[in-house]
Amino acid sequence: MYTLSDSQIKFILDDIRASGIEMDDLQQNLLDHVCCIIEHELEENGDFERFYFSTIKTFYKKELKEIETETQNLLTFKNYYAMKKAMITSGTISAAAFIIGSFLKIMHWPGAIVFLGLGFITFSLIFLPLIFLLKVGEINTKRDKVVLSIGTLLGILYCFSMLFQVMHWPGKHMIWLSTLAISFFVFIPVYFFTGIRNAETKVNTIVASILLVAVIGIQFTLTALRPSAETQNKTYAYVQNEQLLKKMQTSSGDRLPVGSLEQKLVSDIQKTCQQLKELILKNETGQTFIPDDFELHHITISEGILGDGFYKDGTGIKLLSDLKAEIALYNSSKLKTEENKIPVAHTILEAASDRIGLYNNLSALNELTRIQMHLICS
Amino acid sequence: MIYSSELIKGTLKTIVLKLLADNKKMYGYEITQRVKELTLDKIQITEGALYPTLHALEADGLVTTQAEYIGKRVRKYYTLSPTGKSKAKEKVSELADFMDTMRFLLDIKPTTA
Repeated sequence: MYTLSDSQIKFILDDIRASGIEMDDLQQNLLDHVCCIIEHELEENGDFERFYFSTIKTFYKKELKEIETETQNLLTFKNYYAMKKAMITSGTISAAAFIIGSFLKIMHWPGAIVFLGLGFITFSLIFLPLIFLLKVGEINTKRDKVVLSIGTLLGILYCFSMLFQVMHWPGKHMIWLSTLAISFFVFIPVYFFTGIRNAETKVNTIVASILLVAVIGIQFTLTALRPSAETQNKTYAYVQNEQLLKKMQTSSGDRLPVGSLEQKLVSDIQKTCQQLKELILKNETGQTFIPDDFELHHITISEGILGDGFYKDGTGIKLLSDLKAEIALYNSSKLKTEENKIPVAHTILEAASDRIGLYNNLSALNELTRIQMHLICS
Repeated sequence: MIYSSELIKGTLKTIVLKLLADNKKMYGYEITQRVKELTLDKIQITEGALYPTLHALEADGLVTTQAEYIGKRVRKYYTLSPTGKSKAKEKVSELADFMDTMRFLLDIKPTTA
């Protein structure tokens, strides 16, 4: 039986470390294992170094590091099947959420935002990362890994851009333009130049790259880099009306006796109109009002439908029915002559309840401002 | 005859769990030697397969470890945890069942001495 000296043990440990074994546990395990073999099998006056190198060679096929790689693979993929199952489950959930959300959105029924949000989140933060983790283990070349990483990242970014668009969150243009830019200037070049070098993938790479350029080009043409002059003019018109309204409100003062029924009704209508406008503006621009320096922040009211945001938690519908009741009460007052009544014809107040989601947001805002002006003048 | 590494790969976890169930605590080298002894050298577990498996079993909570200093080096002893004990039984009976099925599938007649 051979007895190992401390310096020989240090020699073995250094060699194991130099071979690329970094896990402390594994280093100690291998060290003890080699030592046991040497102690049991080497004769007392045998050649330590020669025996050590021939022994450690039997531990691996190509290099010692493969033991650590295998260990890490087992540790990472010990949940391989659980991950696969989670991938399929999250994929199914997101697909179902997208279908239900889209259906609700088309029908302008409440809940569309919830389902679409759930779809976006499960798809981008669970499904895509899981696909990446499962696929990256199967890929051998570094290039493919880079393409897969950028692709996954873009997928997540793409989802977030859409989520930001749907939710009208600030920064939506920024994130969308970054997604397009990364796709065009990073992903396509990397994909193209890595694929074209391989004779087997050459043709597919060229075809896929052309398709990708076309798709990104089409999406870019759909992207409005800056709001059109028409949208800007409509925003100016709204802001000017608002300024006029403010001026009228301050100069008119309190004409009506405080505490009177009419004064209460007028202030109720004003308040409800204001809340409705805040809700519409919040959905559209992310803020409840248009600040004075709106041009500096590139805030515009892009014309569109009121959409799901208006239905969310039923706030919009409730405010609208409150307003209808308040105006009806105001108009039915005996003292009101015909020309003093608030005109509601062809306004959002007359829109059918199931069509309100399709109502033009800018029209609604302007109509509400006009109602407020009427109140002050009559 | 030494069995191919593919055959051993699928059963290594079961072998290690069963050995640990029969012996209170063991270290890596001891496991390879015991298997060699019991199978008359027919099954030789490689270091490259054993240690990744032991680390995976530890990460799964099926075994617990205990370090013992032998001079300048550390020896890691492996012991089955309570879940490891039931897992060992489960794995052995699964393999026994599998062997029965294979015997039937491949139509292997029991060899009579």
